[in-house]
Amino acid sequence: MTTLEDPATEADGRTAGDRRNRVIGTSQLRKEDDRLLRGDGRFTDDVDPARVLYMAVARCPYPHARIVRVDASAAAALDGVEHVLTPADIRRDTEPLTVLRPVPGAPQLPYYALAQDVATHEGQPVVSVVASSRHVAEDALELLDITYEPLPHVVDVLAALEPDAPVLHPSVLDSNLLAANSDGSGDPDARFAEADVVVEGRFRINRVTALPMETRGVVAEWRPGARELTVHCSSQVPHLIRKQLAETLRLHESDVRAVASDVGGGFGLKLGVFPEDVLACLHAIALRRPVKWSEDRAEHFRSSTHARESVHDYRIAADSTGRILAMTNVYATDIGGWNSPFGSAQLSSVVFNGPYKISDGYTERRVTLTNKTPVGAYRGYGQPEVNFAYERLMDQLARRLDLDPVELRARNMVTPRDMPWKNPVGAVYDSGDYERCLRMAADAVDWAGHRAAGRTPRADGRLVGIGFASFVERTGYASSRFLAKRGSVFGAHESVTLRANRSGGIDVYTGVSTMGQSSETAFAQVVADVFGTDYDAVRVHAGDTGASPLNTGAFASRTMIAAAGALRSAAEQLAAKTRRIAAWQLEAPVDEVEVAGSVVRVRTDHSRALPLAAVYTTAITGQGMPPEEEPGLEATAHFEPSDAAYSFGTAAAQVAVDPLTGEFDIERFVLVHDGGTVVNPTIVEGQVRGGLAQGFGAALTEELRYDPETGQLVNGSMVDYFVPTAADLPRVELLHTAVPSPVTPFGVRGVGEAGTIPPGAAVANAVCDALADHGVELSALPITPEAIWSALAGRSSGGGDPELTPTAKDLPDGGVEY
Amino acid sequence: MTSVENPSEVLVETVTTVNGRVVTASVPARLHVADFLRQHLGLTGTHLGCEQGACGMCTVIVDGEAVKSCLMLACQLDGRNVQTVESLAEGDELNALQQAFKEEHALQCGFCSPGFLMTATALAHQGRRPGRDEIREEIAGVLCRCTGYDNVVTAIERWFAENPQGASEDPLPAVTDPTATQG
Ligand code: FES
Ligand code: FES
Repeated sequence: MTTLEDPATEADGRTAGDRRNRVIGTSQLRKEDDRLLRGDGRFTDDVDPARVLYMAVARCPYPHARIVRVDASAAAALDGVEHVLTPADIRRDTEPLTVLRPVPGAPQLPYYALAQDVATHEGQPVVSVVASSRHVAEDALELLDITYEPLPHVVDVLAALEPDAPVLHPSVLDSNLLAANSDGSGDPDARFAEADVVVEGRFRINRVTALPMETRGVVAEWRPGARELTVHCSSQVPHLIRKQLAETLRLHESDVRAVASDVGGGFGLKLGVFPEDVLACLHAIALRRPVKWSEDRAEHFRSSTHARESVHDYRIAADSTGRILAMTNVYATDIGGWNSPFGSAQLSSVVFNGPYKISDGYTERRVTLTNKTPVGAYRGYGQPEVNFAYERLMDQLARRLDLDPVELRARNMVTPRDMPWKNPVGAVYDSGDYERCLRMAADAVDWAGHRAAGRTPRADGRLVGIGFASFVERTGYASSRFLAKRGSVFGAHESVTLRANRSGGIDVYTGVSTMGQSSETAFAQVVADVFGTDYDAVRVHAGDTGASPLNTGAFASRTMIAAAGALRSAAEQLAAKTRRIAAWQLEAPVDEVEVAGSVVRVRTDHSRALPLAAVYTTAITGQGMPPEEEPGLEATAHFEPSDAAYSFGTAAAQVAVDPLTGEFDIERFVLVHDGGTVVNPTIVEGQVRGGLAQGFGAALTEELRYDPETGQLVNGSMVDYFVPTAADLPRVELLHTAVPSPVTPFGVRGVGEAGTIPPGAAVANAVCDALADHGVELSALPITPEAIWSALAGRSSGGGDPELTPTAKDLPDGGVEY
Repeated sequence: MTSVENPSEVLVETVTTVNGRVVTASVPARLHVADFLRQHLGLTGTHLGCEQGACGMCTVIVDGEAVKSCLMLACQLDGRNVQTVESLAEGDELNALQQAFKEEHALQCGFCSPGFLMTATALAHQGRRPGRDEIREEIAGVLCRCTGYDNVVTAIERWFAENPQGASEDPLPAVTDPTATQG
């Protein structure tokens, strides 16, 4: 196992002598920043075509209701109202919304842009109106006469699986179980039977939302003569938006151009087509005028996707030395009223064993419908959920065996010698030294000192605890072939086009939109590095399907993994041709010619050089080319990584808890993380810190709450849903190792989601460590003083729930998706 | 200019100074300042994230104080002086605060940046020079979902440290163009 602290090492297989202009591994200033800091970004709501009209959407106020009658005549008659769409129009003119990441085995639900006979969640669109201003459009909503017949609802994921629960989609399913799947290997039941110790528990993960600061939005424009629909939208996946819109609107893909220039955060929420996108396009087509919809925050809370909510029954079997024999995870995950654009998280199954070497285990997932807003992808997508469960159980196991929890973890971790290592569901961990991260975290918080000191309260009565959470993070995707088997309608590859221009620059065209992940900067770094030209000479044009090669988009921490390979290959092609042209003009052997900054020159005689601009002009005009070369200087390349890569790390939290009230402070939080080769250290650190902030939010303060009586979302506003502010977050100390991944270009691993994974488990373990003498075990998120106080008072909830009995053996669809 | 086309809107005459220019506009009574800046003046750097005063995306400076422009009506701007993020850069150059944001990687998607920049600028207008913890409190009215705030705090702290004079005595932009502009 090579461990590399130096990101500039030869992970890409080139020799040091080739490297004239190394920018990979350096903190270049971001290409994105100037326009964003001047307020000159181009977010969807900033797009303002002439003659634009505004759309507003009437939404079902009930969690479950039959739509008996829609009378839009008074609304349509209001001065300034131009167009109204009702459920019948949608049924006639569109196909149901499609899902990018269907759950295997799940039927296609008849999900239309406007609710047809029955709405299954509060906030589902029912009628849409276009008018001369947003004010007028919203006024018109007041004039709609919609008769609803409220139906019985269910908002609890376990209650929804009960035989007497109201069924959401009776025409398709006779229960609320949308799909179930399982996978595993070995003989876990036998291991449990022979184990010295079994720890088990039910873990509840809160419903949260990604909450990007820019809400969703769309500006649609139709030119009937040209049959051209231009759609500006706030999306992570413009090419997939184009595909889905074309299908839903019964257009040809070439009729649609999707553009997402600047995106104000996505985090997985902005994947795929939502009802409002389809509605705005339909209005625009009908009116032959541009139509704009900007989601307001109240709508966002009820109609953009939520995330995470699930209940996990976890079990771990071990022998008396702490060696883990088997692990199982049977869980129900809430998908809300419909399958969302990206379906339900499956990574809870893929990495259910975390960094631990377990051969006998299984996982079983039940994707469950409830009368709530659909659940979709969110940073981490299934991984924070299981980390909370298995890391809480690791601490319980340590206590049961009277072992040091750090030693217990170390003893069971997959080691560098085991790599590549296949887990019980077939995921292949590529490389890494997991134990080293754990030890670094333990040292950083002086774990040994803490153990020795015991649990003496401080002068103010507070008890100090330290907790750990070790994790792996699946990043990127396995091959497209594999995705195909699982029903995904996208590939695992990325594609880019590079084009030289007569000013001496290189234009990079990518369908990956700019949503904060710094791809413009990182892409330019890779191109400049591979090509040999200046970073400043590379310009990235992002997020326009009219300009970029057909690619997938930005999610699953895959941008850098997949795009880096395409960028490298395209840059190599472009550089090779540049050198051939220059070699011919300089009358030198091609091998002797190199690109260096703004010139091409003979390696051994720098006085023999041509400006790059001149070489590019030669190619573009075709005048003065070597006889055998075609004119033009452009390259498109596609790249698919051979497998997913796994980032990893350990977090350590130190908390001080008041054992009377449950109030606590996070005094220290250390994250030791490995994202493989670092392309830009500043960006990597920024991604990790940002992920942590969202992780702390989900662990400590954020929770979407539904009133079981009314089925209403009770805290659907920024005033009631507590996103951490600058004053709320603990100070975070970051440490890195940098083991290159053998399965990705340059050895990079994704870094976008790591921070979201360990905060819940690390903080909960720290609180339980502090309160060990009180017998407190936390098993639900978020971790609030109230929850701790209830646990201290022995008032933990969770009793009386139905068991999630494993049915692994009789499920037809063995195998989890990746 | 884009104007609201509904003839039934009640319009109010308003004269205000925006980034040093006098603006005369007829605005609907119910129009808030953020929509006025964005839709009527094309100053789209002021963003909207909640329209209920909770996210800080729309923060601008009115008479020297940071204000959430979604909570103020455009007609209330009459006789006041407004500064938006578009006023910060000096010609083609970012100003020192923007430069600090860039160098400290204090933004990712950048949607929140105008809110933080205007909040920090307002602190300087008031002659404030807060320390790190105080900065955290002062900027807590602006949310960011990308950065985890650390770098934002560092950028603002650095700006105050490097520009002790400039920052604390930075005047409101003077009225440079007395010609009334139709908004
Ligand atoms: S938009 Fe004004 S505070 Fe959120
Ligand atoms: S940088 Fe995206 S919200 Fe702050």
